[in-house]
Amino acid sequence: MNTATNDTITGASVLPTSIPIPSFIVTTYSYIWYCFNVLLIKVPGGHYVVDYVKKSINDDPYRTMIEISLILYGIYYYLSKPQKKKSLRSNKPDLSEQEIELLIEEWVPEPLVNDSPLDMKKQGWRLEKIPIVLDGGIRSHIKVSRNNDNEIYDNVLNLSSNNFLNICNSERVINKVKETIKNYGVGACGPAGFYGNQDVHYNLEYTLSRFFGTESAVLYGQDFCVAPSVLSAFTKRGDVIVADDQISLSIQNALQLSRSTVYYFEHNNMESLDKLLSELNAAEARENLPAIPRKFIVTEGIFHNSGDIAPLPDLVKLKLKHKFRLFVDETFSIGVLGSHGRGLPEYFGLKRADSIDVTIGSMATAFGSSGGFTLGDHVMAYHQRIGSNAYCFSASLPAYTVASASEIIDIMENDNSEVTKLHRLSEILHNTMTSDNENNDLNKYVVIKSHKDSPVLHLELTAQFRYNKFHYTKDELYDTVSNLQKKCSSHIIFDPYENEEKFLQAIVDEVLTKYNILITRNTFLVKHETLPIVPSLKISCTSEISEEELSHAVKQIKETILRLCSSL
Amino acid sequence: MPFKEDKRDPTHVPLITPPNLPIEIKRENEFGTLTSKTYLHQVKSFEGKEIPDPVIDTPPYYISIITYVNYLILIIFGHVHDFLGIRFQKNKYTDLIEKDGMAPWYSVLESFYVRRLKKRIDDCFSRPATGVPGRFITCINRVSHKFNEYFTYPGTTRMCLNLSSYNYLGFAQSEGKCTDYAIKTVEKYGINPGGPRTQIGTTDLHREAERLIARFVGKEDAMLFSMGYGTNANFFNAFLDSKCLIISDELNHTSIRTGVRLSGATVRVFKHGDMKGLEKLIREQIVLGQPKTNRPWKKILICVEGLFSMEGTLCNLPKLIELKKKYKCYLYVDEAHSIGAIGPNGRGVCDLFGVDPNDIDILMGTLTKSFGAAGGYIACDKWIIDRLRLDLTTPNYAEPMPAPVLAQIISSLKIIIGDINPGEGQERLQRIAFNSRYLRLGLQRLGFIVYGNADSPVIPMLLYCPSKMPAFSRIMLQRNIAVVIVAYPATPLIESRVRFCMSASLTKEDIDYVLRHVNEVGEMLNLKLNSGKSSWDGKVQRWDIEEVIKRTPEDCKDDKYFVC
Repeated sequence: MNTATNDTITGASVLPTSIPIPSFIVTTYSYIWYCFNVLLIKVPGGHYVVDYVKKSINDDPYRTMIEISLILYGIYYYLSKPQKKKSLRSNKPDLSEQEIELLIEEWVPEPLVNDSPLDMKKQGWRLEKIPIVLDGGIRSHIKVSRNNDNEIYDNVLNLSSNNFLNICNSERVINKVKETIKNYGVGACGPAGFYGNQDVHYNLEYTLSRFFGTESAVLYGQDFCVAPSVLSAFTKRGDVIVADDQISLSIQNALQLSRSTVYYFEHNNMESLDKLLSELNAAEARENLPAIPRKFIVTEGIFHNSGDIAPLPDLVKLKLKHKFRLFVDETFSIGVLGSHGRGLPEYFGLKRADSIDVTIGSMATAFGSSGGFTLGDHVMAYHQRIGSNAYCFSASLPAYTVASASEIIDIMENDNSEVTKLHRLSEILHNTMTSDNENNDLNKYVVIKSHKDSPVLHLELTAQFRYNKFHYTKDELYDTVSNLQKKCSSHIIFDPYENEEKFLQAIVDEVLTKYNILITRNTFLVKHETLPIVPSLKISCTSEISEEELSHAVKQIKETILRLCSSL
Repeated sequence: MPFKEDKRDPTHVPLITPPNLPIEIKRENEFGTLTSKTYLHQVKSFEGKEIPDPVIDTPPYYISIITYVNYLILIIFGHVHDFLGIRFQKNKYTDLIEKDGMAPWYSVLESFYVRRLKKRIDDCFSRPATGVPGRFITCINRVSHKFNEYFTYPGTTRMCLNLSSYNYLGFAQSEGKCTDYAIKTVEKYGINPGGPRTQIGTTDLHREAERLIARFVGKEDAMLFSMGYGTNANFFNAFLDSKCLIISDELNHTSIRTGVRLSGATVRVFKHGDMKGLEKLIREQIVLGQPKTNRPWKKILICVEGLFSMEGTLCNLPKLIELKKKYKCYLYVDEAHSIGAIGPNGRGVCDLFGVDPNDIDILMGTLTKSFGAAGGYIACDKWIIDRLRLDLTTPNYAEPMPAPVLAQIISSLKIIIGDINPGEGQERLQRIAFNSRYLRLGLQRLGFIVYGNADSPVIPMLLYCPSKMPAFSRIMLQRNIAVVIVAYPATPLIESRVRFCMSASLTKEDIDYVLRHVNEVGEMLNLKLNSGKSSWDGKVQRWDIEEVIKRTPEDCKDDKYFVC
């Protein structure tokens, strides 16, 4: 075609003889070009195109050839697109209907949930050990039944409740609840965006932000859902989260949903954190990103799994130094730490608004009501009201729960006697457990993981004792389980762990049957935990219990632990 | 510090003192007395029959074009606004700009829709209310400032007819058996939940409520969770992993999607209600197996909702069961909106379709809606529930359901079953069936486009243009009717709609009132766009309002007037 120069319309007569071109090609080509010409000239501005084509054929026939072949390739590419999928479907076998039917018939799915009787035998004992409180609320002394009412215990001292302050059982709060139900009914019957948030909900948000000294508060329906929803509302791919390596499952879920890059620092180790943050910032500077990613330090006030307390002043220093935001889960520290129960910042003499950027907390622990909440500035709170799924897509809390929480905070603002009492009890709990251990062997068997100001005492077997009796270590458990998790096994079971859990349950049972005291194992699920854990026992105190009763009970528990451990 | 009324911040929602009304009036405001026995309708079971595919009416083309242009203008203006604002009014945009080396909480684009589109109509959302969200809802008046930048509250209220709350059976009440029982329970049990279910949080009330629910939905056992969203969001990771497949309806609720994401399972989506597409997908997936490795899937779970809350459509349960059995998949039905609200006995979609609940592997539902309580449940065979109690995170880590909520569930369930006040539950069910059908057919006859199944208590009416949403919502509020408007992302971009949630607490006269006002407003906003495609005789419907009110109450009981 390139050889047919400017005189194409008139025919093949001028073609050089050296290159033979079949005459039909030349005539067809001429004909098409002629029609094209006639058509284009009719279109306004078409002669420019004709001129351009003529000129380009004239000036640079090779370019024209390339252009035309490009156009042809373009058409070919466009038309061949459906076939292109073939390569993507390369692993899709070309099967006949019959073969497909056979494959479908052949396919045997696994049962919906793990139905192995062996697994149930190894793990199912837990179901029988769940205490059911009978004929009344969860108070300091309860009637408990277990194992389908085969065991019934009356007047049991309850040392496993998270309702630390017990203000929710005061006359004033109960009256408020009754009054609210009489005026609002029970359910709110709608999500926050659609008439579900009532005056009481908004007023609890004001009360919470006043009590904790933040700009805003946002309410959620359940404490366990808060962290995953809040954190993922503010993070996307490329953002950075640095988390303590002993955080609870709720935050582990949050990290999984956050899509961000997650790093862990050694539990409460500020040097490890400082080093990590410096490294991260240096790496970020090298990458020369167009915008700064959002960066969070994630930790807990009182740790769910160990009862330890995070060193807030150091965290604040580091977060300011490295320009991170601080996210703290205060589920267990709110209402507990600080002289008025304002949580971690009050405990360290800081202001919440200056120290923590996002606080999440629960109203189901120390406040003894229901639901969870977030505290922070206006901008953050406003964004949650649209961006946080558990807020937008879920019904508001029942009116009575929020009205009672408001009432409880009002009481706490004016009167910190319950908080003070709880502090004293926590001290007794801790001291009684640790006192004169030189004289006995408790240290040989168990370690106390919790901080002395935590109202929940966490006990686990010492690494040595565990190794001697159950023949495994924390790392071994973690490796085995994470290996099984990676393989997506349906049977995530590690026998030595099960044995140790059973042993701890035996301690719980002994304490219950012999002394009528209810303590509990920490009900971890290794199937879900992505960080190293070991079985542990949990003893918690609530301000409803008297000091003598508590110290007496703790002594009995201690004696049981000693007895069972030494006879193992 | 005591809260002083005269010193309150005007931008704060005030606490409204409940009015001192005589008990009869209060009761009537929460639950209207039935005006005539003819305004009842007993739903009949479909007896295993499949339902035809829903017929979707479409508006004239000019409406779609106007809607797109409408969005285009909003988006262009928004971007111009942002462009100029960020450069010249930095102090107003501090939330979007990097400050002291810290990234903003959200980026310009991430928050564009919220700041530039939703904010304009913020006054139609999150209207604070007070009192019982029953037949009437008391909205707290507010005044918008600076284009919804903030609101002030003069402290007055407005009583509106309630078509917004999920109060299907009218159990949002502060008088009656349920409330009495709830208050009695508060005295006996208090309100504190104690701790996780497996540690200390289980009481005999939990056991009773779980047994009742299992009995009600027709399963061997059930378990309760204190939050409906959380039930789904922390459910799937107990038994699914990345070698499992979830086949999910495209319109499934966010809670299901969150739960599935957490489990790591692979998700394939089928078009809403498209059973042929579903079958094709299942066949393909069984043959193909897992991506890359081509190993067979460990298990395949089909996830659907019983009644879709934005469309008012039902899942095609008989067909789903057939497919599930044929291909050895498992079936999960989320009955958040259908439990209590539909079916001859209020037992949800199984009851309505007349299928055996045992053909469905997992039945999930919420207790917030029909029962006027809070939380959710999962009902399965006993061996599955036992395993789930061991493997689910919620009972082991989260707060349990508090006693007063359990009391509300127990008492409302007993009323529906007929254990307490025999006949009352029946009447509630018949009233919601009649009310839903009456409003639905009435709106259709007036000429509106309405989606969904005849028996669905969720009645979405299409508005299309985004600018008509706030107009509709505001005018209805002026006329003392509280409605919910929904737009993207909950619906497709151009299908903005108003969603009427029916309730057994409304009387026929209340619905007449609604129809008259919707008729007028619809006329004003040019919403009567029905093309006759979804009407029984295929004709364009533009009835006169008087004619509608005269004839529909009788006609709406006849199935022939409803296409699906």
